[in-house]
Amino acid sequence: MLVSLLIWLENLAPFSSLRSSGYAYPIVLALHVSAISLFGALIVATDLRLLGWAFVDGPISDLITQLRWPKRLGFLAAATFGFLLFACKAEEYYYNPFFRAKILLFLLIAIHAGAFRRSIYSAPAMLDHSLKPPVRAKLAGSLSLFLWLAVLCAGRGIGYIMGRPGMHYK
Amino acid sequence: MLIENPLSTSPIAFPVLECFHIAGFALAIGMSTLVDLRLLGIGLNKQSPSQIARAFEWWTLGGLVVAIFSGLLLFSTDPDMYFLNWSFLIKMVCLVLAVTFHYTIRRRAVFRGVSRQAGGFVACASIALWISIIFGGIFIAVVRPGLS
Repeated sequence: MLVSLLIWLENLAPFSSLRSSGYAYPIVLALHVSAISLFGALIVATDLRLLGWAFVDGPISDLITQLRWPKRLGFLAAATFGFLLFACKAEEYYYNPFFRAKILLFLLIAIHAGAFRRSIYSAPAMLDHSLKPPVRAKLAGSLSLFLWLAVLCAGRGIGYIMGRPGMHYK
Repeated sequence: MLIENPLSTSPIAFPVLECFHIAGFALAIGMSTLVDLRLLGIGLNKQSPSQIARAFEWWTLGGLVVAIFSGLLLFSTDPDMYFLNWSFLIKMVCLVLAVTFHYTIRRRAVFRGVSRQAGGFVACASIALWISIIFGGIFIAVVRPGLS
């Protein structure tokens, strides 16, 4: 059921032609990496502030509030290019252990966001009583750094798994 | 006697190094771009460009050092392939230009302050240089003889 959906997806005209294009595919890959750089820096900047390792002369809420929308847009850009790369080889990715690990890590990131939403991300003003971050902020920041680094490594790993024979490319 | 490069004998050395390489340049390029965007008036408007640059300075340099050092090790696994690869050569030219520009003209623009137009021009040049390095890196595998 899921696999037949993925086969349908990868054989849609735009994804089919992107897959067999000489230069369009690596261009999308380079745009994916560029978006990752920008998004990664936004994530790291937030996490460094939560850890108290950068921007310590200003309140925590200031940086979290200012970076909220840029992070959303950065993620949207990286995810859009990432989806294009996935959609070209959806069936193959389904069997790729690194892709599966990456999806699992995204689930963990969603859990992380949900777990720290109330205590950190949606109410950062509560963290401003002192310039030094409380333990829960440090925990949120270090877990986020770890999870996103793991996503980066899993993403790089995807390209190292050889495609399987018998894919249903048209 | 020929000595085998230990990086070439391990199947996981190259991908692991690549992860360091990507993490390093993502940090450096991303942080540099956040300052560039601020010069263009986009994002982090409560801080001045020099405040952001100062907060990022050592992290940017750290990312750059990790990216260059891991890059040298990646290069060492197949030096003649890289040396004959025009995408790699363009990448290296852009890298030298980007780093030089970053620590001279752009540094002046960020820390001493320049007119809005000059700042915007510096920011665009900086973003263009770093992006072309990413494209150059990706296209090494595309223009590589033997690979399509």
